Amino acid sequence: MTPVLDVSEMSISYGSRTPALLAVSDVSFTVDSGQCLGVVGESGSGKSTTGLAIQGLLTRDSSVTSTGSITIAGTELDPVLETGWRQVRGRKVTTVFQDPMSSLDPTMTVGRMLTFVTGSKAESLRWLEEVELRNPAVVYGSYPHQLSGGMRQRVMIALALARRPALLIADEPTTALDVSVQAQILKLLRREQAALGCGIVFVTHDLGVAKAMCDDIVVMRKGRIVERGSATRVFASPESDYARHLMESRLTMATDRHRPVGLPEPTVVSAMVEALNENRAVDEDSAAPDATASEVAVPDATEPPAVTAEWEAKALLWSRFRPEPAVRDGEPEAILEFAGVSKSFHTGGGRRGRKPVLFSVSLRVEERESVALVGESGSGKSTILRIAAGLETADSGSVRRPRLHADDIQVIFQDAGASLTPWLTVGQLLTERVRNSKRGGAKSRAEIDELVGVAMDRVSLDRELLRSKPGLLSGGQRQRVAIARAIVIPPAILLCDEPTSALDVSTASTVLNLLNLLRHSLGISVLFVTHDLAAARVISDRILVISDGRIIESVLSEDVGESVSSDYGRRLLDAVLS
Amino acid sequence: MAKFLLRRAGSLVVVLLSLSVLVFVLQRIGKADPVRAYLGANAPALAVTQARAKFGLDQPMLVQYWNYLVGLVHGDLGMSYSTRRPVTVELADKVPATLELAVWALFFAIIIAVVLAGVYSLKGPVSGVIRLVFFSLASAPSFLLATLMLLLFFMQLHWFPAVGRIGDPSVNGPTGFYVLDGLLAGNLAYSWDAVQHLVLPALAASIGPGVALARVLADGLSFGMGSNYARTARSLAESERSILFRHALRNASSPALSMFGVLAGSMLSSLVVVEQIFSWNGLGQYLSTAITSADFPAVAGVSLVLGAVYVVLTAMVDIVLALVDPRVKLA
Repeated sequence: MTPVLDVSEMSISYGSRTPALLAVSDVSFTVDSGQCLGVVGESGSGKSTTGLAIQGLLTRDSSVTSTGSITIAGTELDPVLETGWRQVRGRKVTTVFQDPMSSLDPTMTVGRMLTFVTGSKAESLRWLEEVELRNPAVVYGSYPHQLSGGMRQRVMIALALARRPALLIADEPTTALDVSVQAQILKLLRREQAALGCGIVFVTHDLGVAKAMCDDIVVMRKGRIVERGSATRVFASPESDYARHLMESRLTMATDRHRPVGLPEPTVVSAMVEALNENRAVDEDSAAPDATASEVAVPDATEPPAVTAEWEAKALLWSRFRPEPAVRDGEPEAILEFAGVSKSFHTGGGRRGRKPVLFSVSLRVEERESVALVGESGSGKSTILRIAAGLETADSGSVRRPRLHADDIQVIFQDAGASLTPWLTVGQLLTERVRNSKRGGAKSRAEIDELVGVAMDRVSLDRELLRSKPGLLSGGQRQRVAIARAIVIPPAILLCDEPTSALDVSTASTVLNLLNLLRHSLGISVLFVTHDLAAARVISDRILVISDGRIIESVLSEDVGESVSSDYGRRLLDAVLS
Repeated sequence: MAKFLLRRAGSLVVVLLSLSVLVFVLQRIGKADPVRAYLGANAPALAVTQARAKFGLDQPMLVQYWNYLVGLVHGDLGMSYSTRRPVTVELADKVPATLELAVWALFFAIIIAVVLAGVYSLKGPVSGVIRLVFFSLASAPSFLLATLMLLLFFMQLHWFPAVGRIGDPSVNGPTGFYVLDGLLAGNLAYSWDAVQHLVLPALAASIGPGVALARVLADGLSFGMGSNYARTARSLAESERSILFRHALRNASSPALSMFGVLAGSMLSSLVVVEQIFSWNGLGQYLSTAITSADFPAVAGVSLVLGAVYVVLTAMVDIVLALVDPRVKLA
């Protein structure tokens, strides 16, 4: 049987960048009818360029050059020359794109878009039904902005499948969706694939999705394929170092939450060594009068190779980084407390147009405690965080922040790039934070520089980067700068709003490891807002499940898999791909 | 829709009221004495007092304003001090003159915008030259443009007439819009004459706004062609042409339309200058004489008309905007 897609020794470079960027280098793979091939990689791996090339969407830019060939359903094509693509693109190969909101023309009804492809209204309605949209007639007359994210993606799938392509490209089709919607969309894609018998190329950075969806996997890195094989084999026993690193970084409900995630990373290790040495220094100080005792008490495994080895052996536990015994006298004190907090927002529809987002929310974060708020978009989880930060005020109920003043609360947002002033250097950003704080305002230049340097070490960023502006940094680096700014004057509580969801798998695990290190070594409380139960489990002691503005469940992270009892909580749990 | 129109009608009333207050206060603060303007500098004291009483100028300011408002509600804009005729009568033939010019100027602006936006998206030296020429023209003030056009098209080439609205005022039509009147009377020569008179002033007023509009439109189009929805269309085998006309153009028109609303407003005021240069017997000319002679009823009348036109124009733009972009709600 001939494959529906045969990519042969394809290389692609972007000439418009200086220096010219070789995005894809000598890539070959095939996809058969009915097969789903996952193209997996992090940003910059070339997976997106590969995805665009096999749809013939690189033929407009004359600065893109290529070698090799693509054969789709028997037609041999050049990745960057238009010749021949016209009969293939949109007919034999179609695509489900990532962000269905921007990928659908906002000025056109679903019906007009779909009928352009199907040719008749009846056929369009049939396709809307086929992708399991309730009320196809209503959807037919709707504009994209009137639909939910999941519905939009179903429309996108209908558009892509209506031509009955031999090959379907799924370009991160679930990345912009809620986890529970994601599961439904994947199910739909699998069903449709079985019905149509088309081959699928599934481009994604999400390993869980790839594992759930794909028969075979190619793992890409820096434009090259570094590993290929059946999904089962690649996930169970990856051969290349990079694939192994990726698989280890993946968070599932089985991830050990008592130790760092993933494989040892030199940057995190150096931050750990720093923290251990600091703790030892504190111990020495406090034990100074009794010199002999201190010699015995101080552990000496504080060299990077030792820590790395311990990590590799899965023996490095977070509890090691606690500077003082966790046992304390009496009840632990609350540091943030919500009692019956309600909130609604103006919707603009007249004087009475208010949409309630929180209903009598009560929660409590104790000293040194880490609490995760888990819910989907629109659940009100970010509003809680904004109220806790003082960025919004509650309509009713009380918010207590005993013993906290402005310095003690810091927020890390999802899009760290946008929260960093673009024309200031990293050094200026951190210095500014110190100067604006109560505790740091009176410090001398040298003291501030020292604080800033230590903060950079703690998030394992090179001090050289102090002179760079945020625009030059990678996404992961920017997120770490945001964390450094939040902890340069150590706060009592750190409020995190999905700080890892825009990051690559391995970068996300670095950020989680750093946050965990900081909360253990500095004793910072954390309120962590996320849609990802697996991440919540790793970063927190306790998980609050929130839905439609109400906290519906509170469970200990330790046994979240067993103790979640609400329907909604179980659904979220099921949505975490193993 | 009904709610929207009602709300805009409300804002029309508010705009007209505040305009009348503004003009009224300005007139009272100003040094110029309308009665002296009316009677001449050497009029006897008795005549001045009588005239003052006749216009109600001896009454307290609030009473004067109230009287003016009452008149306004009855469609009476008062008596012009300098011409001694009712302002409504005076405006009756000035308003169509200016509106006709404005409509043509807006029309030219749209044509310039669309053509230039096309040129912007082309590449090559010719497009570069055209862009440069229009960019420099757009940065010139409209009086300079008007003078240049007079020099070139009237004095040198004799293509178009330079002065007034019409050569032979044979038709005395019902609307005051000369091109339309000619058509209604079946007198095509008259219409053509009116069109020729319109070309230069309308062009002078439209180049600046047209070029500004072209940039917004061209930006919108190039953004649209590179957008995700264009990519989707491409992946579904739509041609570039179809993507441009079915998707990008409509998406690009909403920012261009908002811009158009703003430009149309400022174009109205630039017409004042253009009318002077082309001796166009419209609101602009009328306004400048009225200002110099402290003719309050006339100034107020023109201001109110321009304010009303502006409010109606924005409402129209908003309606079109909502038609073009389904996400926009009329409010």
